[in-house]
Parts: sequence; C-alpha cells; structure tokens
Amino acid sequence: MRHRSFYEATARQRIVEILDAHSFAELVGPEQRTVSPHMQALQLPVAFDDGVVVGRGTLHTKPVLIAAQEGGFVGGAVGEVHGAKIVGLLERARRERPAAALLLIDSGGVRLHEANAGLIAVSEIIRAILAARSDGVTIIAAIGGASGCFGGMGIAAACCSAVVMSEEGRLALSGPEVIETAHGVEEFDSRDRALVWRTMGGKHRYLLEDCDVLVDGDMEGFRAGIAAAMEAPQSLTLEALEREQAMLARRLQIFSSSRDGRDVWRTLGWPNPETVPLVPTDVFLAQAAALRAA
Amino acid sequence: MNAPSLLLRRWDQRAQNLEQRLVRARSRLGNRLNGRLVAAQDVVELLECVIEPGDCVCLEGNNQKQADFLAEALTRVDPSIVHDLHMVQSVVALPQHLDLFEKRIASKLDFSFSGPQGARLAQLVADRRIAIGAIHTYLELFSRYFVDLTPRVALITAESADPQGNLYTGPNTEDTPLIVEATAFKNGVVIAQVNEIVSRVPRVDIPGDWVTHVVQSPAPHHIEPLFTRDPARITDIQVLMAMMTIKGIYAEYGVERLNHGIGFDTAAIELLIPTYAESLGLKGKICRHWALNPHPALIPAIEAGFVESIHCFGSELGMEAYIAARPDIFFTGHDGSMRSNRAFCQMAGHYACDLFIGSTLQIDLEGNSSTATLDRIAGFGGAPNMGADARGRRHGSQAWLRAGREASLRYGHSQRMPRGRKLVVQIVETFRDHMLPAFVERLDAWEVADSAGMPLPPVMIYGDDVTHIVTEEGIANLMLCRTSAEREQAIRGVAGYTPVGLERDRRTVENLRDRGVIRRAEDLDIDARSASRDMLAARSIKDLAGTFLEHLQYRFAGGYSCGAVTPRVVGVVASGNLEVLIEAATLDGACAFDIDTPARGFARVWQAVISDFFARHRLGDVRISINDNGATPATVALRLDQAVEEYRGVSQR
Repeated sequence: MRHRSFYEATARQRIVEILDAHSFAELVGPEQRTVSPHMQALQLPVAFDDGVVVGRGTLHTKPVLIAAQEGGFVGGAVGEVHGAKIVGLLERARRERPAAALLLIDSGGVRLHEANAGLIAVSEIIRAILAARSDGVTIIAAIGGASGCFGGMGIAAACCSAVVMSEEGRLALSGPEVIETAHGVEEFDSRDRALVWRTMGGKHRYLLEDCDVLVDGDMEGFRAGIAAAMEAPQSLTLEALEREQAMLARRLQIFSSSRDGRDVWRTLGWPNPETVPLVPTDVFLAQAAALRAA
Repeated sequence: MNAPSLLLRRWDQRAQNLEQRLVRARSRLGNRLNGRLVAAQDVVELLECVIEPGDCVCLEGNNQKQADFLAEALTRVDPSIVHDLHMVQSVVALPQHLDLFEKRIASKLDFSFSGPQGARLAQLVADRRIAIGAIHTYLELFSRYFVDLTPRVALITAESADPQGNLYTGPNTEDTPLIVEATAFKNGVVIAQVNEIVSRVPRVDIPGDWVTHVVQSPAPHHIEPLFTRDPARITDIQVLMAMMTIKGIYAEYGVERLNHGIGFDTAAIELLIPTYAESLGLKGKICRHWALNPHPALIPAIEAGFVESIHCFGSELGMEAYIAARPDIFFTGHDGSMRSNRAFCQMAGHYACDLFIGSTLQIDLEGNSSTATLDRIAGFGGAPNMGADARGRRHGSQAWLRAGREASLRYGHSQRMPRGRKLVVQIVETFRDHMLPAFVERLDAWEVADSAGMPLPPVMIYGDDVTHIVTEEGIANLMLCRTSAEREQAIRGVAGYTPVGLERDRRTVENLRDRGVIRRAEDLDIDARSASRDMLAARSIKDLAGTFLEHLQYRFAGGYSCGAVTPRVVGVVASGNLEVLIEAATLDGACAFDIDTPARGFARVWQAVISDFFARHRLGDVRISINDNGATPATVALRLDQAVEEYRGVSQR
C-alpha cells in the first residue's frame, strides 16, 4: 500500500501521482549532478537535483510543464541552481505553450546560504512567472507540503494564475518563526500550531481569496484541484489587476482590526468560527459558498 | 602423608574436560580446522562441540563493540545439544543476546547494562524466560569473573588476528583482556571473531596461546558511537551550570583528577575549560588527569594545554586519528593506536580520581538518583563505580582531604581521625525535556523494583555518596548539612520550581545559604546574565572536527549487470536522511560507491552497511552515489534497497 498523502510525499512522489501515469520526463535530471556550488563551498550536503525536480508530462492528457520543490532538502529553499531550473522551465513554457505550467511549491523562501545569488534567483522566478503569464501561459501553484510556501515563494505563488491549497498548506510572506523573531511572541507565537494554521492555512487563505481552489490533502484532491484550475484560467489583464486591487483594499478595510483568523471568520458571518478548522473540506466549501452568496 | 581421599580425586578435571571438547571439535570438523583458524560457515558446528549444557558463557557485549557474528552464530546452535547456558556479559545490547533465551539456548543471565534491550529484557523476565542472577556494576561483574562467575567459554571480538591466534583489539579494547584472562587461565575455551586475518598483527593485545579458535567474521563487528555530543545543542542554562561547577567546585577544591559522565551538562563543562577556566587562571590547577572516554568535546581543553593524561574505557568512532596524533595524552601502543581497557579505567575512576560528575533523570529528597524508567530493566554500567566514595582509598590529595574535612563535620561533631572523601556531583537542570521535574519525592526506581521483582530499587548513585547537587539555581553542598532535615531543605533549595522546590522552607533555605551550604550564582560572583553559548570553545561538531563533509569510496568486484539503463534517485537529503543515485557504468562488472557524508568517522560503519548491501544484490556495472545528511544504517540500507528495486523496474505503483 502506498500512502497517498500529498503533505508527506517527496517531490518526486508528488509528480508521479499528480501527472498521468508514466507521462513524466525529467529535464536536467539528477544524473547530471547540477548541484549547488555554494553548498559545496560551505562543505554542506548537496542534492543531485538541488532540491527541485523539473520536467514535462501530461495531466488528463493535456501537456504540462511541472516543477516540484523538495521541502526536505534545506526546507525547499531557493538557491541559484534551484531557481535557474524553475526559470528555465518557465521560459520553456513561453516557447512551448503547454496547457499549464505547474509549480508544486514546498519552500521556506530564499536559501540563506547562497545570499545574494538566492535572492536574485527568487526575483528571477517572479519575473519569469509574470513574463510567461503575459504571454498567455497559465501557471498554477499547488501548496500542501510540510515546508509551506513562504518568503519569496509566497510572492511567487501570489503572482500565479491560480493557487491550489490543502488545509495543511500554509501560505504567507513571513513565516511564523520570522514574525515571532521580528515582532515578539506577543505578536505571534510560532509554537501555537493552531494559530499558525488559522492565519496561514489553506482554509483561511481560501476565505481571504488568496487561494482559488481548496482541496483535500491527498493526491487525488490535488490532481483534481489542479485540473479544475486549468479549466478556469485567470488572464493577466488590467481589469483583473484592478479587480484584485479593489479586493485587497476592501479586505484591508473590513479586517484591519482582526487579530486572529477567528475574528476574520466571525466577520465573514461564520456562526461558529472555532469549528472552521474541524469541518470537512466539502462541508466547508458549501458553507463558504453560501456565505459568499449572502 | 597419607591422604587417600585426595589421591582418589582428580585435580585437573577442567583441563580434561577442555581436552574432550577440543577432541570433539577436531573429530567433527576434521580438516576444516586449520590450526586455530576456522571458517565462518563452520562456527555453529564448532560451538555445538565446545559448549556443554549449563556452561557459563561470556558473549562479549561491550558498551561499544559487539561480538555480533558469534552472537548470531550462537542463536543458531541446536537447543537439544546446547541449552541452559548461563550468560555472563557486561552489556546486553543486541537482539541476539535475548534471542538466546527465547530459543531456550540460555536460561540464566548475569549482566551490568542492557540499554536498548531494556524493554524486551523486562518482558522476558516477566514471562519467566530469563532468570536474572543479579544486575551489577561493571567492576562487580568483572570481579565475579574471577570468583564465582568464571566463564567456561568466552566468545570475543577483535580487530585482527594472525594465524597463531595473536589478537589486535584496536582502540576499542574495552572488556576483551579481562574476559580472556578469566577464561583462558581456568581452562576455558576462547573463540574470537576478527574483522580480518593478517600475517602480522599491528600489536599483540591478546597472546595467541590464550586463544582457542579464531574466525574471520563476514562483516566487521558493530561499534556503537556513544560519546559524541553536538555542542550546537548545549543551552545557555547548561553553560551557567558549568560556570558554577568550575568556579564553585573545581577551583574551590582544586580538582586535578576526575571523571565526567556522558551528556550535554558535562560537555558544557569540557567546552568551558579553555575559555572560562582559563580566564579564572586555573590552567595547571584543575582538570589535569582524566579517566574518560575520548569525548570530542574535550579536544579544545587538550589543545589549550589543560589536560596531561587521559585513560579510556573504550574509544569513540571518529576520534582514532586525533588520539593517535597525541600519544603524550592518551595511552597508545607502539603501533600508534589507542589501547583502552574498561576494567582498568573503572578502577582508575574509582580509586585515583577525586571527582565524578554526571547527570541523572531523578533525584529524591535524600539525594538518591536514578535513571530507571518503568517497563525497562536498564542496569547500571559504570556510573555507580565512579559515583561512589572509595572507602578503601588511602592516598591523600588536596581535593580529597578538603572534602573529607567537610564531611567529618556532618551532624555537628568532628571526627578525630582524619579521612578523605571523594567528590560526587550530580548536575541537572531542575526540569528535563517535556517539563518533567528532575526532583521528586519518590523515585520511579521503587516501582521498577516492584514490577520486576528486584531485591532493591535500582539506584544509580546513593544519596550518602553524593557531595554536591548543581542546578541552574545553584550548588547544594550536602556534606555541610548537619541533619537529615537540613539535607532535605538543601536539596529543595536548589530544586527550582519543581513541586519539590516549591515546598521549600524559605527561612531554612536562606539560613543554609548564609552558611554556604547553598551557593547561588551571585554568591560565586557569577553574573547569570553573562552565561551564554558564546563562551563555549566550540559551538558545533564542525568546530570540533574541522572540515565537515567526508568523502568515502568503495568498489566491489564480481557483480552481475541487471541490464537496466535509466538512472534512478531515491530518498531526500533531509536531516537524518539521504539520497541514493543509481546508474549504469562500465566498470568491468564492479559496483562503485561514492558517498558524501557530514557524519565524519563512520567509515567502518559505512563499509559494513555497503558490504552487506553488495552481498544482497551483487549488482555489477553500476555506480551508486550517495548524498548523506546523517542517516542511520537502517535508513541507508532501506534507501539502497529501494534504489535497486526502482532501478530494476520491479516497483509498480
């Protein structure tokens, strides 16, 4: 019996399970040993794929390009080689025009060991996403790994055409530990796991409209969720950006005094905000739809 | 001179019996016996010839190295031939040690320490499959080898042997000389497994004529690394306790000869010697001579010139080259490698050291401390021998005599006859991980004794041997307490916010502090706020070890190509994990391994794991590259097997 949890799977397992069987072909594979020169210089363990697997395949027979970050290797952090592999994939997407480019994100952000090279890599990823989208490529971020989606990768995810998350996924700019370090434990207790998920987890992001498709945390959930997002592509137009800007302004106004996800949910009209983390995904989605309609 | 009864009795029955055993072996194995040498596949038959039912057998299980091949072989003897053995061994470490009892090959056990097998041992005792004679300290068990528990057969392990049976034990000599001495000179059988047979051993640790048979084991013996503590995990609180210990005990008494227990508390002391102790001007005055395993954390103190000599119980994987390069400090042979000896080092720690300091799990109001936990029979090892006053000691030293003077004032009246006293220090933070209090009204050891039917609770260090307790709250000097009530308050007075500490009588505690029985950091002129990891001489293993990654290469000839060509990668370079890349390569049928690992000094373990892997699959024309991040052998073996499965394409999802 193979486990089907997206959260616990490795990057390679995720690709195999998300794409159509036997359709994946890797680019710049591990046998090429394109490892991080910075980690080598620091005498730290390297990975043959530098923590990201890239390649092509099909999803429901439609051609896709895919990148999957390995959250287990230095927290999925983006280094120079790692970033270049993702950028190369997105540039290929502009030439090949697949049905979508999929980013399975599992990353704490920039790889601090690589300093400026890592920061530049992240900014290049963001630029490549926007360039590909303006060429009409649909780019879908899927977030549901143990390292979450933070820092520069949080910005990158927000730049994608659609974000697919599980409840276990976490999406934010600053990670819990970073907020606590910068602003104190009174501001944010990073060891309060429930608080972390109430402010950064998939359900909360869905209610705030940062997440477009909320799925169950198993492989089938992500496969179906990504396919659904591919069906409803968001194009990068001035109107879409203005709509988004208006949504953000409205959000700032309505929730500016909220201290916790629970406050947000109460304001949104959830009758029992403390039960939000407990309800199953389908019940949650039905309730959210009813509240939005109201 | 007529003594007919004496004339009728034979006085060499053990020698006669030994000869019978050897004749049985010769007739059954015939020309498969090559002098002292015997092949691995013949060992089970040999054991069936030379072991008799009811024999007292020592199966060498040390704290670190294990006669693992012979242990496995002994589990395969026919129980109708070999049964009811009485096992006498210091450490019950391997599953095979207990398999013997499940298979009814052995029935009785005398031992010192069971560590990882403690839970299963407790279950087997409850099921009446094992009768425990007694649980000893090392020195007690070793002593009984020469009194009433002399092994009839000893199954031991060494690094190498020559054809004459001379053994080289390498740095991990440990218990071997003592076991062989007790067995060989009482007409016993000594069988040694060795990692290799050589024409000439680097040095003779055991003379060949004490050894009956030698077998080359298919894989190198297992050695457990035990003493390496990553400085990165030492806390500021441990730094504070170490500062108080150095200033309030080591400097105060002038402790020159000592032993440290294993743990982060004592590693912190070791790493403060070249920084904090140096700043107090203590070089040459404290910590000069040690009975201690080669702790990596002591390297900075050695390099700083504090340490003049160290005798070791065993060795530590990864420290071999460092030790060999410092023969002035360590006990080394003419071949350059260390010779350890657990029995002698235990003796040195007991009689020739002025101080023992160690951590514990629980301390009660009498100062008794215990590491026993429910549902496990863990035993003692050596700590009680170190952490006990040596009542037989007669030579004086500054520290010993001063402690003796303090102890003689106990209960308010001075003894006329001067006598010294060993310093026995327990160092603990008041709460352990998960907020478990280190101070308790009643030790779990009482329940352990009840549930396992032990004659007395398994106490590691008895309260009347403890002279000082060090916590983050200060030092309690138990020798200066005049009544048992005072002693209890002295312990409560350093027990912090534990329930025991909260129950203190504040006035009595303040009074004890006025008298110097309890000393806080500020009483020692230590600013607790200055306690910081910045003071540690090394803050990571990398600081201790120099360069970080170790590159290992192995090549095995004689494999078979499986025809696969697509490279596969399995696993992730996460902490405690690794990735394995397997790909075809033209290597004349060989299988080549390239390994990068941050865990330095484990080449022997890697070699053993990789050899077993090659023996399982015999892959040829394959290159296997590994990026390791501190994976255990079990994980390495699992990933390797998964990689082969993927590579061969057997795996179907």
